[in-house]
Amino acid sequence: MTFERDRYRAVVVGAGIVGLFTAYRLARAGAGPILVVDRGFLSNGGSGRNGGGVRQQWETRSTVRLARESVAAYRGFGREFGFNIWFRQGGYLFLAETDAELDRLEPVRRLLAAEGLPARRLGVDDVAALVPGIDRTAIVGGSYLGSDGTLYPFPAVWGVYEAVRALGVDVALGVEALGVTVRDGAVAAVVTSRGPVATGTVVNAAGGWSGELSRRAGLDVPNVATRHEILATEPMKPFLDPMVVRARDGLYFSQTMRGELVGGLTVPHAPGTARGVPSSPTFLVTMARALVGLVPRLGALGVLRAWTGFYDDTPDGFPVIGEDPRLRGFVHANGFGGHGFMLAPAASRRIAAAVLDEPIDLDPSECSPARFTTPAAARPAERLQLG
Amino acid sequence: MARGPVARFRLGRRALEAADGETVLGALARRGLPNVVRSVRYHRPRGPFCGTGDCTGCLVRVNGRPNVRACRHEVVDGDRVETDNAWPSPRFDLLGAIDLLFPSGIDTLHGFRRPRFAVGAYQRVIRRLAGYSAAPTDAAAAAIAGPLRRYDVDVAIVGAGPAGAGAAERLVAGGVRPLLVDRDRTSVPVPGAEALARTTVTYVPPPSTGADRRFDVLGFEAPGLGVVVRCRSLVVATGSYDASLLFGGSDRPGVVAAELALRLSPPGTPSPFRRVVVFGGGARAKAVVDRLGASVAAVVAPGEIGPDVARAASDLGAPLYPRTLLLAAAGRGRVRSVALKGRGGGPRFHVRCDGIVLAHRRLPNGRLLQQAGAATEWRADVGAHVPRVDPGGATTVAGLFVAGSLAGAAPGESRASGERAADAVLAAAPPLAPGPGPADAAPGELEGYYRELLREPRHGKWIACPCEDVLLDEVERAARTGYTGVEVVKRYTGLGTGLCQGRYCLPDALLLLSILERRPPAEVGTITPRPPAVPMPLAALAALSEEFPPEVVP
Repeated sequence: MTFERDRYRAVVVGAGIVGLFTAYRLARAGAGPILVVDRGFLSNGGSGRNGGGVRQQWETRSTVRLARESVAAYRGFGREFGFNIWFRQGGYLFLAETDAELDRLEPVRRLLAAEGLPARRLGVDDVAALVPGIDRTAIVGGSYLGSDGTLYPFPAVWGVYEAVRALGVDVALGVEALGVTVRDGAVAAVVTSRGPVATGTVVNAAGGWSGELSRRAGLDVPNVATRHEILATEPMKPFLDPMVVRARDGLYFSQTMRGELVGGLTVPHAPGTARGVPSSPTFLVTMARALVGLVPRLGALGVLRAWTGFYDDTPDGFPVIGEDPRLRGFVHANGFGGHGFMLAPAASRRIAAAVLDEPIDLDPSECSPARFTTPAAARPAERLQLG
Repeated sequence: MARGPVARFRLGRRALEAADGETVLGALARRGLPNVVRSVRYHRPRGPFCGTGDCTGCLVRVNGRPNVRACRHEVVDGDRVETDNAWPSPRFDLLGAIDLLFPSGIDTLHGFRRPRFAVGAYQRVIRRLAGYSAAPTDAAAAAIAGPLRRYDVDVAIVGAGPAGAGAAERLVAGGVRPLLVDRDRTSVPVPGAEALARTTVTYVPPPSTGADRRFDVLGFEAPGLGVVVRCRSLVVATGSYDASLLFGGSDRPGVVAAELALRLSPPGTPSPFRRVVVFGGGARAKAVVDRLGASVAAVVAPGEIGPDVARAASDLGAPLYPRTLLLAAAGRGRVRSVALKGRGGGPRFHVRCDGIVLAHRRLPNGRLLQQAGAATEWRADVGAHVPRVDPGGATTVAGLFVAGSLAGAAPGESRASGERAADAVLAAAPPLAPGPGPADAAPGELEGYYRELLREPRHGKWIACPCEDVLLDEVERAARTGYTGVEVVKRYTGLGTGLCQGRYCLPDALLLLSILERRPPAEVGTITPRPPAVPMPLAALAALSEEFPPEVVP
């Protein structure tokens, strides 16, 4: 037999945090036999390559709510899943380099306040107290929410993985989903590198590969895989509590529980063309200049390693959650734009609901796969695409 | 030893002196092997191991800069050196109690989740156990920064040992003026070649291809100047290094690589040990025995002991223990004795010693080649992944050549290997075609050795990765619970993620995992080499920012 069973209620493509959490919700709801396939080992994709940031500071109410729900889930993760993810709520600090930028963060703070999240507007002195050694001339202030934080991604993936295994979900690693078989306008099977597997539902949680999978199923989607790079420095004794983020160049960095400074920034690359290519010198030097320019003392710290991953970006910055109107049984769980980890515990509830044909408490203009047929100008957008 | 002007420096409150050009470790080692740092997590005593600036055994803080290798930092008058990660001192560290309180280790993967109100306190404590030193000071960063150095040359050579020098000489003879880059002072100046000393190459990205093929090589000149070398052809002659070995207390001060033993005892100086056990039976062990002379207490080898080594040891009256397991190094702090056992069920016995020198195998120093995209292959006889190289030194990457022991040259043949690589450069030899490597040779002796060792009872912690204090037990637990393959084990345990980035622990981990997972080492996989090859200061990278502008996206 190719897989444990001939037929599954749903096949989830991608054993990253989104796919596994979705399988977890489905199994807990007693949806029936679930199969998760992934082309590599656990955490080989974005779920094992991110900076571990979890923030609730967003521009739109729906994203704030998903993030707030995820923070609560991660706080309770250790008790629910038996793994310690070291979720440390050291806060997120958005730096402002100009007064205009500081003002642009004002509506975000108002929105957060309305949602019961007290983000603070910080002056230069407050920022300098949070980031030792920061060049005070480089900033005018910032916005800070103390309940945001960072976690250690790997044990989160393993914790959910072991939980779904205990619930009877089959997980096939090293198995690539090559496409879907369609019969009468509905999904009939998933074609994998190990052979076909019958199912009426496929969940596309393939992260940076989700656009490819949708297109292989004949669906034109706007998802773009964007190369992103991160580096880690030599470890230090505790130095920095918050995740620090800067709008101009997308710079972000935080100190992990292991003492390393981990961070990245946006360097333009031709999108989707560079799979398998190692870290670029351009990223290393640009990131180094940004870090040293902001916190000069870091110049004497060594870079230990750098790596790359792929963001799964959408044009409006919202994820894609729900069944594709063009293909029955094809459920999107993608487009998280590098924020899958911070939204997965909450988003997975909606994805599972979509699989089970239950209503979703999200605005369709902010999640539905059908929204892209509406002109972009007529739709909301989430532009706080940082860290 | 040549004694130039004296430099005075302070280690904590002690005032010390060093000769001109002497390293901190060199100055300290005149009074015996120093103990300057404790390990992360368990605060175990550590001592210098490698002598080349790659392990975490001699980390110190110098003038506010963390993670400086005492074995590489040449003392400058007025230097302020501090020991790290210990209170009150690395020799008597009260936090060493952690090692005793957690005899079977700290499980950060599953532990410290309850009770809920204590989670914040756990986080503060565990956070403090990570890292060796505090963040750098502004003054430290200002002191190492400077303008970048840029070199545009036809041919660059990394490594100025016999192979690199041989390649340089032949290139000069062929009318090419190569750039010869070396991490240390260039010991072999080559007339007609440009020498770049004290410069560490950290990253060789895959070259641009086609007619305008070019390598953009990143590095830094000590202590922190950014260096970029642009060249059409690159010869890598970075040699090989002494492997570590896993046994009980293998992280104990006094356990050293052959390289460190040789560096600490230049010809004509007394041995830094009183009674030392040499592990290994080949040419490297012979060199160590010859150098350390009367202080050699025994020669132990995983397999047979070669006749040269046997003769040299017998002349010194040192007993020979071929085909013997090194079970454990005992002692409080520094090693006091070693527990041994004959292979195939021989008796267990002890040898008193104050040092163990590992001279049993050398591994290729090939990270730069892997970064550049050169193919490697598993070689069972070496017990490691080695670069695919043809007799002329060509790799699978056009314009990238290898010379010396990294290319498989035997000791004494390095220079000739360098000359062949130079000839290949001059002839613009094509790259090696991708394809399967040679059929597997018989496995090296270490595979069977570890198979036997893992069956022995173990006492105390066996440290599989000293940089991050990862235990062999944790690696075994990963394999038992289905977290298999070296990439997964690395993430699950932290093995190979510390300051040496797996240089010392990963080669043996591949052998151990193949035994634990019951499959050939080649199937356990490899680690994707992640730049830089050695830690590179952010200041040096920042200085290169104008040299690598962002791509223009249409």
